[in-house]
Order: sequence, then C-alpha cells, then structure tokens
Amino acid sequence: MPFFDLHVHSAFSEGESSVEQLAATAKLLGYSGICFAEYYKGEEQIKKLATEIQKAKDKVGIEIFLGFEARNSKELNILADKRKKFDVLLVHGGDVSLNREAAETPQVDILTHPEAGRYDSGMNHIMMKLAAKNNVAIEVNFREVLMTSKKSRSTLLQNISSNIAMARKFHAPIAVCSGAISHWELRDPQAMASFASQLGLTLNEATDCVSKVPEKIVRESESRRSTEWIAPGVKIVRK
Amino acid sequence: MDCAWSENCEEVKVREKMKQRMRTRNKRELKILLPTLREKERYIAFQIVSEEPVTYADLEVAVWNTMLDFYGEFGTSQTSMWLIKNLYDEQMQFGVVRCNNESVAAVLAALGLINRLGDIRVVVKVLKVSGTLKGLR
Repeated sequence: MPFFDLHVHSAFSEGESSVEQLAATAKLLGYSGICFAEYYKGEEQIKKLATEIQKAKDKVGIEIFLGFEARNSKELNILADKRKKFDVLLVHGGDVSLNREAAETPQVDILTHPEAGRYDSGMNHIMMKLAAKNNVAIEVNFREVLMTSKKSRSTLLQNISSNIAMARKFHAPIAVCSGAISHWELRDPQAMASFASQLGLTLNEATDCVSKVPEKIVRESESRRSTEWIAPGVKIVRK
Repeated sequence: MDCAWSENCEEVKVREKMKQRMRTRNKRELKILLPTLREKERYIAFQIVSEEPVTYADLEVAVWNTMLDFYGEFGTSQTSMWLIKNLYDEQMQFGVVRCNNESVAAVLAALGLINRLGDIRVVVKVLKVSGTLKGLR
C-alpha cells in the first residue's frame, strides 16, 4: 500500500533539513511520496524548488511533489491563480475567516490544522459541508500533537476529534500528515494511521487517510496540469 | 533454630518445615491458563532511527513515559504492554514490544509519539506486527 505525506517543510521555508535529507528519511520510513509545502516567495522560487526536487527525486527514488501553503487571503488568491504551476495547494488553518475561505475555494487541496492556536476546533458544520462539496481535505497535523503536552495536548486532541467527527458526518476527506520541519519529525505511516484511529476513525479509514486520500489528491493534481483538463470531472478526449 | 526454651520443640520444627515447603511451592511458576482464557498477544518489531546509539535504559523510560502520559495508568494497563529486554539489539537498534491483540493500534500510536530518547532525537520505524516471535523473523 503506498503512503504519502503531503505536509513537509524543507529549509526553503521554515524547515531545518534539506530536501534530500527529508526525502531519504521518508523513503526509509516506507513512504511512496512526499510533498514539500513551502511558503510562496515568487516565480523564481518555484523554478529553484523544482530543480532541487528533481535532483532529490533522481537520487533518492521516491515521488516528490511541490506544494505551497497560503498563510493569508492575499497569498491564497495568488496561489489559486497559479494553480497549474505546482502540485498541491495547502492553506495554513487556524484563523476562522481563512478556514472558511479555504473551504469555499475548489482549488485548495488541504486545509492544514484548522484548530491550531485555538480553544475551539476552528470548523463548524457549514464550513465542513463546504469543504466536502469542494473536496478540501481537513488535515490532522501530527507535529502539533508532538509539540504539545499535558493540558494543551489534551485540548488539541479534543478539537482534532471534533473535526474528525464532523468530517466523517459530512463526508469531507481527511488527510493525516506529519507537518515535519525536520527529518526527525517524520513519522512511520502505520504509527500515524494508528494515532488517527485513536481519535474517532476506524483503522481502515485512518489507513486511507495516510494512503488513498493523499494519493487521490496528487493524482488529480497531475491530471489537472495536463492540457486536456478543463474542470473537475471534465476533460478533452482526443480521438 | 534454637527451640530449647519450647516444650514442643519437635512440633515447632515440623511447622517450620511445612512453612518452608509452602514458600517453595508459591515461588514456582503459575500453572498455564486455558487457551480460551489466555490473552491473545501481539509482538511489534520496531527499529530506532537516531543520530547516536540508544541504550535500552533510555528506550524503556521513553516508551513507558509516553504510554503513561498519553493513556494514563489505567489506559496503559488495558494494553498489557511489555518491552522485551532480551530481544533489544543495541547495534541494530531493533526492539520488540508485546501487547494484547486489541491494543496494537494504541501501542503503535504511542511509538509514533516518541520524540526523544534522553537527549537524542529519534524516529521509531515499525517493522512488523505478528502473533508469534517466530513470525517476526
């Protein structure tokens, strides 16, 4: 079964490890592919990143995808316009208005940690229905759990469980990602799936959140970048 | 033993002998449970990926503390978890943890939460889950 981690930061944005180090550790842990979710800094950055990623792909031998994480509404609009130039569009969740905007935008693939820095879960049933309608995956971010303890971890887990329950009810996709900024923060995919199964998902659902859901996101993104793609579910068939 | 002061010295000696026999019998291993009553075990093989070699003592402390912090004393008790000391290979950094069949996901989740062993940053890689030790090889 192929496993994918779609939220990893390299030294190009806020990470501590290089693209190659992260890719090598991901391969060691059994991942079939990872996505570097960097912060947008301009067109040149896209080209530079793409070159680094290609080098790492050739050396390490796993699939490596390029993604960008929008931190505010302005960045989201810019990245949504440039959607075909990269593989995965993530939105840095936590702010309710940005969470809502991400759920309403069909170009967005993943809404990362909607509960981050909040006392509540950051999502309500209306936003979850929108996310389900626009196929925006809700992320369970493992790094948030790793970096907290005691009371703050307990509150965080409550909020994540609440989001998972709502996502299951309204059939919004859920993706479990490491959110790693260093190769020491990558985690075994089975451990991440098992962790998600403790928060309200069945083991099969949790395993799909680490394999089928992220795989579907990257394959759809690949087809979106082809010239035949018009809109979700619509493409030109040449005879 | 000095029993010169007692009138029933022989009786005291016999009683002491019987007590000694009872102590020996209790030290022997428990009789094995019936198959239907036995807990179904699972063995999880894992490898520690780290910057420096990790000792068994650090591993044991980290695994137990993570389980206890995350699940509490009662929750950890429900998993019947045990880290098998004889099977830890310090060179290969390979270890085996045992738990019951219903708690495999819980123990795997806890292994994923292990961040550091002492001062060393680590990543735990799960190798295999099996019902027998032979099946792990």
